[in-house]
Amino acid sequence: MMDRELKNRLADAFHAPEPEKKESFIKNLRPREIGIPEMIITQIPYIRFPIWLFSLLTAAVAMGGAVLGMEDTEFLITVLMPFNAAIAVFEAHRSRRYGMSELEMATRFSLRSVVFARLVILGIVSGIVLATASPVIAASFGRSTLLTAIRILIPYLITMMISLIIERSSLGRTHGYASFVIAGASLALMTWVYNCAPVILAGYEEFISVWGLPAMIILLAMTFAEQWKTVKNVEAFA
Amino acid sequence: MDLEKAYDKIYRYAYFRVKNVTVAEDITQETFLRFFGKSGTFHENDMKYLYTIARNLCIDEYRRLKPDELPEEENEAETAVSFPEEIIIVRDALERLADEEREILLLRYVNEEPVGTICRALGISRFALNRKIKNAEEELKKNLKEDE
Amino acid sequence: MKLSVDRITKQYKNKIAVDRISFDLTEGVTGLLGANGAGKTTLMRMMSGILTPTGGEISADGIPVQSENYRALLGYLPQDFGYYPEFTAKEFLEYFSALKGIDRKRAKEKTKELLELVGLYDVAGKKIKTFSGGMKQRVGIAQALLNDPRILILDEPTAGLDPKERVRFRTLIEELGKNSIVLLSTHIVSDIEHIADRIIMMKDGALVWQGRQSDVEGDLEEFYLKRYE
Repeated sequence: MMDRELKNRLADAFHAPEPEKKESFIKNLRPREIGIPEMIITQIPYIRFPIWLFSLLTAAVAMGGAVLGMEDTEFLITVLMPFNAAIAVFEAHRSRRYGMSELEMATRFSLRSVVFARLVILGIVSGIVLATASPVIAASFGRSTLLTAIRILIPYLITMMISLIIERSSLGRTHGYASFVIAGASLALMTWVYNCAPVILAGYEEFISVWGLPAMIILLAMTFAEQWKTVKNVEAFA
Repeated sequence: MDLEKAYDKIYRYAYFRVKNVTVAEDITQETFLRFFGKSGTFHENDMKYLYTIARNLCIDEYRRLKPDELPEEENEAETAVSFPEEIIIVRDALERLADEEREILLLRYVNEEPVGTICRALGISRFALNRKIKNAEEELKKNLKEDE
Repeated sequence: MKLSVDRITKQYKNKIAVDRISFDLTEGVTGLLGANGAGKTTLMRMMSGILTPTGGEISADGIPVQSENYRALLGYLPQDFGYYPEFTAKEFLEYFSALKGIDRKRAKEKTKELLELVGLYDVAGKKIKTFSGGMKQRVGIAQALLNDPRILILDEPTAGLDPKERVRFRTLIEELGKNSIVLLSTHIVSDIEHIADRIIMMKDGALVWQGRQSDVEGDLEEFYLKRYE
């Protein structure tokens, strides 16, 4: 066996002067392969227009409502965001709905990357909507931007988590619209609380003002965990 | 494994057979062109094929030159700053080995190729290769001891 | 390249779909024969890295089957597949090019080349939902070839093709077998009669015969039916 030192000395002794035409040769020889970030970007045009439209709409409602000083604006956004979550989860499973799973699984990046890309893209879009809506709403109503964002985010995260869990189950496989049912339930619940149970609403706002940040962090971690499980699980063949 | 690393390995191998940057690079590129043909796919296991092609091209290069002509050595002063004594010692020790032993040391310890790849490239059995690796190492160590 | 399948098994709760099958494949065309339910699809799914075996190993030149490097070598055509409803033939192939890691410029070239190869170039811009079964199958075949695969696994690829398409397909497969490992499954013996160098026969999840087609005495069809008794 050869020791490390001798190996190094050999490497030095065998060192060749730099080749001159390597870069251009390789570029021409081999078509460039794409990496994961680029792959995610290629998935963007495949996310359908109505989805972008809905996100745009949500942001528009926030801006419009805030500018017009409509009191219910924050409530409206908090109720619309879970639908953004439902759409994200629904869209993530598009391959399954159209029988593309098997083909996608056998590619280099695989179905996992497709689902991952969809969740990442739509997560970022929702993040942008939140980041534009919260300061505007907060400013119009004299409230804290951070707490406003957290109040809106929490129902979104809960909806997303539950939708992800259900979509992975056999119930979710047979009834593709499960995530919308969850969002609808969330809408119903929040509407009831807003109109009929102001005590609960006040309690929620109180809770957020004290525990908002840690609650959000925990829910974010749980949501990411569910997303991770969803991505890993797509390989399970029925 | 990426193409760049493979290129470096083949180039280094060719350079130490033909001792000329331009010729070595030509051989390297010709090796890749011959290997690829239409498809652009390349995988780690293909290294053995690349070495076989490069090896044959180096042999062709020797044959191309007149029998009494050595490959055109490069003027080392043009291409490098003066080499530390360290390297000169090792190179001298290497020079005293047989061609094939030098080749094997390069492939095994500098290019770090697995035994299977080297067997295919040189067309010898694992048994023979292991024996030759051992001999080459021993010779080298012996030569180095003498010089130090 | 050597594709090695070593004691591969797939067991479900109440059934063994694939039972300790072993074989090796190299470049050339291998026909996988067996009735419906014999386990061909399950075996092919495992060989494509999309179904995890219960036991055994599959690898190509040492590259394990459930790895990105293996999938980069692979072209797979399943028995049934869908498509996003808005896709044209061209868009379908470009979508898969991205998933196979092919950059856009080369993807466009490859798409054009393959659509010509399967005779769909003039309908490249038409939606797949307007296609006949045979045309859709041809898109599927084109998809499998996008990354110049070294390993081509085709599950009942001739289903839905008309006689003319079948002939064209057989010629294509023969050509591909020269440089790649091609495994194609069918329950129709005539599909592989003249193009497969090797035959593997499956029944109830087990391998019942494997060998060169030239080793088969007499008619392949008769031989196959006899094995099934």
